[in-house]
Amino acid sequence: MDFVIQLFTDPIGFWNSHTLFIAQVGINSIIALSMFIVLYSGQLSLAAPGFMAIGAYTSVLMDQYWHTPLALNIAAAVLLAAAVGLVVGLPVLRLRGVFLAIATIGFIEALRLGVILNLPITGEGLGLKNGNSDPLGGINLVLVSLVVVLFLVWRLTKGRLGAAWAAIRQDELAALSQGINVARYKMIAFVLSALVAGFGGALEAHLQTFVDPSDQQYGVTRAVQILTFAVLGGSGHFLGPVVGALVVTSLPWVFEQARDYINIVTGVFLIAVIVFRPQGIVGRGGLAIVRPRWWPRRARVNASTPG
Amino acid sequence: MLLRLDSVQRHFGGVHAVDGVSLEVEQGSIYGLIGPNGAGKTTLVNVITGYVPFQSGGAWLESDELTGLPAHRIAALGISRTFQNIRLFKDLTAQENVLVGMHARRHDDTLAQLATLPMFRRDERTRIEEAHRLMDTVGLTAKAIGRRPAGTLPYGDQRRLEIARALALKPRLLILDEPAAGMNPSEKQGMRELIENLNKDGLTILLIDHDMRLVMGVCTRVAVLNFGRKIADSTPKDVSTDAGVIKAYLGTGGEREVSSAPGASGVDEAVEVVEAAATTKVAAEPENAILEVRNLSVSYGAVSAVRGASLSVARGEVVALIGANGAGKSTILNTLSALIRPDSGTATFDGLDLTVAKPSAIVRHGLVQVPEGREILARQTVLENLELATWARHDRAAAAKDIEAAMKRFPILGERRALSAGTLSGGEQQMLAIARGLLAKPRLLLLDEPSLGLAPQMVDEVFAAIEEIHKDGTTILLVEQNALRALAIADRAYVIETGQILLSGSGEDLLHNPAVRRAYLGG
Repeated sequence: MDFVIQLFTDPIGFWNSHTLFIAQVGINSIIALSMFIVLYSGQLSLAAPGFMAIGAYTSVLMDQYWHTPLALNIAAAVLLAAAVGLVVGLPVLRLRGVFLAIATIGFIEALRLGVILNLPITGEGLGLKNGNSDPLGGINLVLVSLVVVLFLVWRLTKGRLGAAWAAIRQDELAALSQGINVARYKMIAFVLSALVAGFGGALEAHLQTFVDPSDQQYGVTRAVQILTFAVLGGSGHFLGPVVGALVVTSLPWVFEQARDYINIVTGVFLIAVIVFRPQGIVGRGGLAIVRPRWWPRRARVNASTPG
Repeated sequence: MLLRLDSVQRHFGGVHAVDGVSLEVEQGSIYGLIGPNGAGKTTLVNVITGYVPFQSGGAWLESDELTGLPAHRIAALGISRTFQNIRLFKDLTAQENVLVGMHARRHDDTLAQLATLPMFRRDERTRIEEAHRLMDTVGLTAKAIGRRPAGTLPYGDQRRLEIARALALKPRLLILDEPAAGMNPSEKQGMRELIENLNKDGLTILLIDHDMRLVMGVCTRVAVLNFGRKIADSTPKDVSTDAGVIKAYLGTGGEREVSSAPGASGVDEAVEVVEAAATTKVAAEPENAILEVRNLSVSYGAVSAVRGASLSVARGEVVALIGANGAGKSTILNTLSALIRPDSGTATFDGLDLTVAKPSAIVRHGLVQVPEGREILARQTVLENLELATWARHDRAAAAKDIEAAMKRFPILGERRALSAGTLSGGEQQMLAIARGLLAKPRLLLLDEPSLGLAPQMVDEVFAAIEEIHKDGTTILLVEQNALRALAIADRAYVIETGQILLSGSGEDLLHNPAVRRAYLGG
């Protein structure tokens, strides 16, 4: 609770004492936006941690071996992630729904277990030291990046591209009948998503003194966490995943006393949102709470929703 | 010539869904495409619009060849369509749905969009104005519904919105796949006026519908499909009296000649129908009814499917319920089995109130339905399918004996007991579905379209089996599109049209009643 109280009573102190936390919220929000792009076009892709890993390792390795400037490292990281996205997308995007999810999990695990943990250049299983990291100073870069990515994603959803994505998400067959090249627009979404994830991965690596090839960082666990951002926040509006990232990242701090059981807290919270607010925290219907069919009619739903 | 098809073929496995169809749609016409259930109409539309690839043949829209193009390219060339089971973007607003329809003729504004240039805002305003005009054209008020999610609109409005979205493409050809399905007569009239108005503005329309009054009323030319082949292509008037078409729709009465098809003699029917309807409608209802349905009304949300239907079945009878596709036949059966609850009316089966009883209680009471499309478990073996039907019984030994008896009655099932049910032919699957129904020891057996999609000789076998079951003392309520076939074995029959019982009488009477043909083919 101290965490929340300090946020309101002493914002400057909060900023200084929780810089890493705020930066992590920013990074997670950018990654959540990468997830938003694929979900908005109706694709259940869990590939984001793979592209994050590509972004992180590219950027750190370039710094280590060639001593190139950060901007160039990040640019290269983003382009490589997008290029890999294109190559992976070609076979994988023929799949839909849960099959696509499984194939993309295959991709991230193959990348992590098959490449990152095996190559001498990536430190094999030991990870990679990042000599030029900037854990505290990087926060400004992260927040500016977040605003830029947010703005671009917002504008993209408003144009012809965004309309086509929304149509594909709702009904691929009907989208075809409107002259929408479904395969092409899905690929655009997948590559853009890879690009944003690569960017987020490179930024995250810049904040860390050590690139950790663990499951929590670049494996299925991370993929599920990112999916949670989107489901919790709502994937129909570009602010949804960002709110989801904020909530999920904050929970361990808000419930500091229950930190050992934080996965249980997050789980209960997630279930409550899915039951009472299936469209996510942000979405159509303002802040209305849905009464599930099985909920007793006379019970006051408002009184019984957590959160 | 706007659209030209040249011997288009499409097979699915061994099924000839579209079998060498050629046709030509004149610029500015309304071209009707009709045919019984499973005739291949929707497959043909899917082939034209690129959803299903051709196997051979060709298609042209004016000088543009459509053969082999993907669906989105064909749409961009100017063929736009609606779907049989409405495919709106349900969570998008009505207005957004129409805006998506403009995709193909809208320049790519992604960069202008990212930069938020004023040009974009102006274009967007123009597009929204156009969307509102389109909604207006189809009879929707943009102000009232423009911002509502499409999925929340009433059924009729959804149909109209789908047409507005299709018009947003500025199509050269508009394909309407059953636009009036599930509508009540006044909504149908509105749809008819809309189609006529669109055509008056110069739009060429390809119309598929089961409502013959609509098709015969608005179309300048009508083609009839049956088993994937085109069997007629002429003016509505010629088509509705064509002997081959009548046979395709009403089926054949076994040994009976086609010439005995109701109304086929070509006498003027208008007067005859009224008289016939007046005389047959009062046909006596049985006194010892085991099933009694009074003023039953059923709807699916806003769509009313059955309107005040009354019928009864006496012990030991075979009663047929006939009518065109979408008339409400299956809905009545599903209501009797309590799969759907009625809005009003009563239905009692041997003292049990079917409007409140649980489906399982109804089956235990002896009312068993063999559903349309068989609903067998394709991956289970024939024997496993039958065993499943006795799953709830405690007398295992007797149940096993019943299964043996069922396989004796249908020897083909005995022979194939170890094969998975999905490998059986359509007719054999129907036998299996009936056998499964009989294992529940019905006193009244509801059969829903047992001849659906079967080749003629298989239909013979299935009907022979039904007659045998009846001889063994089971009362049967039979729903069929193949009217002549059903009437030939029925003691009595009811004719249903757009949710209402039009007339009833003995099977023999109705066989010669021209009103039956009108219920199917309009007039």
